[in-house]
Amino acid sequence: MSSPSQTAPNQDTRDTAQEGDQENNFSGSDHGRADGDAAAKAPQASSSKRKKKSKVAKVLNTLRGNEVPQTLVDHVVEEVAAEQGANAPAIDAETVRQALEKMKVMDVLKGKAGVAVREKKSMGEHKFWMTQPVPQPGEEAPIEDGYIEPTKAIEDVRQEPYPLPKDFEWCVLDINDPKQIKEVYDLLSLNYVEDDEAAFRFQYSAEFLEWALKPPGYCKEWHIGVRVSSNKKLVAFISGVPTTLRVRGNEINYLCVHKKLRSKRLAPVLIKEVTRQVNLSGVAQAIYTAGVVIPTPVSTCRYYHRSLNIPKLIDVKFTYVPRNMTLARMIRIFKTDAAPSLPGLREIEERHVGEVADLFARYMQRFDMVPIMTVDEIQHQFISGRGDMDQPSNNYRRPKQVTWTYIVEDPETHRVTDFFSFYSLPSTIINHPKHNLLEAAYLFYYASDVAFVPGGDLDGKLKKRLVQLIGDALIIANQAKFDVFNSLTLMDNVCFLEDLKFGAGDGLLNFYLYNWRTAPLAGVKGINDGEPGKGVGVVML
Amino acid sequence: MKYTPSPALSEAAAYLSSAPSLAKVSNTTKLELYGLYKYLTAAPLPQTLRPSLFDMTGRAKWDAWSSAGKTFADRRADAEQRYLNIAQELGWAPSLVAKDTAQEEILPGEVWDEELGMNVSRSPGLGRGGMGTFVSALPPPGDDDTEAQTLHTLAIQGDATKVIQYLARNPLLDVNQRDEFGYTALHLACDRGNLSMVEVLIKHGADPLMKDPDDLTVAELAQIAGHGEICTLLQKSYGSSVGVVQKTQ
Repeated sequence: MSSPSQTAPNQDTRDTAQEGDQENNFSGSDHGRADGDAAAKAPQASSSKRKKKSKVAKVLNTLRGNEVPQTLVDHVVEEVAAEQGANAPAIDAETVRQALEKMKVMDVLKGKAGVAVREKKSMGEHKFWMTQPVPQPGEEAPIEDGYIEPTKAIEDVRQEPYPLPKDFEWCVLDINDPKQIKEVYDLLSLNYVEDDEAAFRFQYSAEFLEWALKPPGYCKEWHIGVRVSSNKKLVAFISGVPTTLRVRGNEINYLCVHKKLRSKRLAPVLIKEVTRQVNLSGVAQAIYTAGVVIPTPVSTCRYYHRSLNIPKLIDVKFTYVPRNMTLARMIRIFKTDAAPSLPGLREIEERHVGEVADLFARYMQRFDMVPIMTVDEIQHQFISGRGDMDQPSNNYRRPKQVTWTYIVEDPETHRVTDFFSFYSLPSTIINHPKHNLLEAAYLFYYASDVAFVPGGDLDGKLKKRLVQLIGDALIIANQAKFDVFNSLTLMDNVCFLEDLKFGAGDGLLNFYLYNWRTAPLAGVKGINDGEPGKGVGVVML
Repeated sequence: MKYTPSPALSEAAAYLSSAPSLAKVSNTTKLELYGLYKYLTAAPLPQTLRPSLFDMTGRAKWDAWSSAGKTFADRRADAEQRYLNIAQELGWAPSLVAKDTAQEEILPGEVWDEELGMNVSRSPGLGRGGMGTFVSALPPPGDDDTEAQTLHTLAIQGDATKVIQYLARNPLLDVNQRDEFGYTALHLACDRGNLSMVEVLIKHGADPLMKDPDDLTVAELAQIAGHGEICTLLQKSYGSSVGVVQKTQ
């Protein structure tokens, strides 16, 4: 039996989300052992296992109090005997009780901790996806794009929420309530430990959530939480916002599930519930991303990182000095200029929104899967996160700033010719004596009208322009005291990553569409004639 | 060495776990699959004692695993191929979409995680596993075991004891020898910031005045890298002649 939660400090945390993970979590005693064998097991074995589990779950769920109850002990003794044969090393009730106490089973039952951190029914996850309208493994690329399951009439959508395990309840998070916003970022930031070796952990701010969760037309029912019934503690969260996406010419309303704003496991029940809510609003498709591979990615992009603050990044082991150079040389190589280079570059203002919206729409024609944004949405994405406007921007940064958007104004015509934007999402650095926060900027959207002139391709003028434009973004990010500037291999990014000294990260991001079939889109690699990137024109927060 | 099963293996395993065809398969084949899978993903051989006669299933599984380990020894690729062949006979088809996009590219940084049932990064020290809720970072340089142990690689690794032993074994070695990139061991020790390493090298006659390919002295390297304690040591050992300049970088 793998020993789950031994030490206390992080315990409460790592599990928060997992508690929302429906039935699996409550199966307590026989975790961690059987999975390895699953591959070779006959189907009937897994169904009997499930039966056993639900029995355990039932026992566990009826428990109260601090002492490990006799029924549970008896049950485990019985299970162990059945599993291992009667002649297994003596298992007496007292041993079992002690083992269970050590495992803090009672904490689990009381919602304080969870069983087996990495507990995941390996095949269970895939079984869930087999029931969902997503392209299944082994399927050939479709000839025609389209839905997988016809859109349900709203009255045919299940009207009542999906059942949660006993002692848990659904809630809708009100993002306008500072107290509830705090609950969400506490859940996501503080109580969020993937594993003990994690060196970095996303750190959310109220401003970030405001920006990410409240675009024009957002639905508050799409910010779904799970609470412990007794103490109302928030233990899981999933969220989405409405977006209109064009996928190879088809314009559809989508639910956009934030990759970072959801519990660590896309627990099937959370997915089902958010799908239900979304269906109730008449939306039948979704776009979401994940670092892991589940059925079935429509594209995969790699993270790239442009180091800015070399000594700190080396110090916290975000990057390393290559064998063939010194830190001194590395600092010199990654040094950026003190001021941006493009004439007419300035921070976006309200008066630019219309022109930016137009430029954005035209530029995004270059890609296969892109968001269609109204002027209001452009305003929200690029202006609403500028921070406290009463405060001066000091070294390119205002208090509470989440997004940075700069435009290039033609010095003569005063038309907006280019823009770029990036957003801030710092990470906590875990257990470091000197540093506790990694300031990370993420490249968001950009556009340049050089794309529309003759010869404006990626080998020629456009590439040159983007190197300058994103080069200026790096300069501003560095001045604003970001430690690193991140980007993915989407849009036209691949053409400037190398010139601007981005390095390949160890993270991949898979893109998924729910209830929509389309052939794979170019991501890390080009597909057929397409260049790498290029397929994906959506940046997910 | 840790073997990384290919995504195809995990895919085949996922397929088999729920394949209707598996119900009709003989126990012998099931056991062979089990043995191959454990051999490929857990360990070459069972790590426990052979189960007793009374535990027939356990014993049969143990035997299957052990047999896979003995048959394939270190030919893991062959074992994997065998597994995939059986899976294909049972109706599994390798995924086309995945092959085109994700899978091939994913291989280098990822491994199949049996517990999680999905591909996860194998990079140590970086939390991984959630649905994309991890922080990507630049990967550490791979530990190149094949690289010969030289004074320079030891100076970077920072184990002073090993350097002492190395110098003892190679009494004729020039401590000030430059590596293929033009650095002396002392340059590298001062740059990476290992105080005890610097002490050892100084004791063995390392020259503090030699400049690196960028025309920097060891003291300047230590200063730029922010290793104040090394600057202090250098000054104590050699006086101001080592050129610890007081200007800021």
